[in-house]
Amino acid sequence: MTAPRTTLALLLFAPLAFFAAFFVAPMVVVALSSITADDGALTAAHYARILLDQYHWDVLWVTFRIALLTTLICMLVGFPLAWYLVRIVRWRAWRRACVILIIVPLFTSNIVRSFGWMVLLGRTGLVNQGLMGLGLTERPIRFLGTETGILIGLVYILVPFVVLTVGNALAKIDTAYEEASADLGVGPARTFWFVTLPLTLPGAVSGAIMVFALAVSAYVTPALLSGGQITVFSMLIFQQYSSVFDFHYGAALSITLLVLTLVLVTVAGRIGEGRKPA
Amino acid sequence: MITRFLIRIVALAALAYLVLPLVVIVGASLTETSYLAFPPQGLTLKWFGVLFDDPSYVSAFVTSTLLALAATVVAIVLAIPASLALARYVFAGREAISSLLMSPLVLPYVVLGAALLQFGSAIGLARSFEALLVGHVVIVMPFVLRSVLPLLTPEQRALEEASMDLGATPVATFFLVVLPQIRGGIVSGGLLAFISSWINVELSIFNTSSALNTIPVKMFNYVQYTIDPTIAAVSAITIVAAALVIILLDLLIGLDMLSESRRP
Repeated sequence: MTAPRTTLALLLFAPLAFFAAFFVAPMVVVALSSITADDGALTAAHYARILLDQYHWDVLWVTFRIALLTTLICMLVGFPLAWYLVRIVRWRAWRRACVILIIVPLFTSNIVRSFGWMVLLGRTGLVNQGLMGLGLTERPIRFLGTETGILIGLVYILVPFVVLTVGNALAKIDTAYEEASADLGVGPARTFWFVTLPLTLPGAVSGAIMVFALAVSAYVTPALLSGGQITVFSMLIFQQYSSVFDFHYGAALSITLLVLTLVLVTVAGRIGEGRKPA
Repeated sequence: MITRFLIRIVALAALAYLVLPLVVIVGASLTETSYLAFPPQGLTLKWFGVLFDDPSYVSAFVTSTLLALAATVVAIVLAIPASLALARYVFAGREAISSLLMSPLVLPYVVLGAALLQFGSAIGLARSFEALLVGHVVIVMPFVLRSVLPLLTPEQRALEEASMDLGATPVATFFLVVLPQIRGGIVSGGLLAFISSWINVELSIFNTSSALNTIPVKMFNYVQYTIDPTIAAVSAITIVAAALVIILLDLLIGLDMLSESRRP
């Protein structure tokens, strides 16, 4: 329906004004300050400082490697769990309890969840006690301050997103497609690969994109589990704003992270759309 | 059969992995020792007492709750007209506006937090409750939009038109017809919004100070230097609160979202 202009203006004025003032304007301020010097003159120096310094590339590489691995592991853990809940569990009450178990962590602060892992992964923590008790290692393994520790924490925080998006996609599949495939003599493995998997792909891709975007920009979990040993990109931004007070340089870092995230999310979205079943 | 068994094993292991840290925190908050111990040694609630005797924790709890409430209410008030406009009308720029309002979902919170601090410093708003509030409204509004939009269907529209045809004013129609129809979406979106605001660190951390602190930010600053049963007690409170909210949500709208019964 085409709208009467006044109605539309009345409905959209407040939300758009709010977003313009407190979302668009702050982002414009950051974008502008990333390309100006203290005296207000235009400069590319802040970006040059980022792009020409090997250190920044190293940090970016670590950040993206951790985010990619997190996404991958989340899919490997989340897909079977979603499958189990939708296709295997027959007892409704248990499924309901499981869904609650998956959502409770999601509703708990990153701090609390990372703190739990700080306790668990310590030298004398439960994980090392367990590994040593099983005779898998003689001396405690160092998790805190390593990429493994950060990965364990990030996967923990993000896997519920995958379970929920993939689970939703699985629940909506009309099983008639799979039955048809089986009736036509196709084996279960090939049915899964050519029928079920493509049907869940849109859900899986949107879950993966969400996980990746959140992992790239994560701050709290890496900050707590890295013990100051590993730096990810969001920590660089926070340092500039909290202790170095170089807003111009901090702004350039922010815009860099923003652009990289948006580009990757868009590309991943395109790939996901391209493989949707017709 | 073998695959089924393997999936079962992976799934149960994943569930255990999801529950373990929460159990450890709640358990450790009950220890009698002054250091963190799991399994707890002895059972006591004294760390919760320590918490409520500390005015800085109490004020942080109050700030967090007020902030989350205010952000949720403002977000609902802004999201309802926006979703009506987006669901009903076709107009130039509709796609762009919808992407703009949804974009905080994929935007790094650290970037937005930094932007609000910088912008706030420019207009004299930095490190104030208002600065926190506007940021929180921006990040929680997509949750409300996302749960209200699907309810604004043609069927919903038909009832609304019937009400107008019968002579009800637009205002009466809104409050008596439209609002009850989208109440479910407002409640579930609002709860999500409240929680997301209540647990946020990345955005808040830029605009908080020692005088104005939210619970998650206070915990974050604390945990980096000390780990003790007090912090486990704060965490335990947030975990129990989250569990209660979710059970409430389950009873209200039903969270059995993964059941296979729904067919397209």
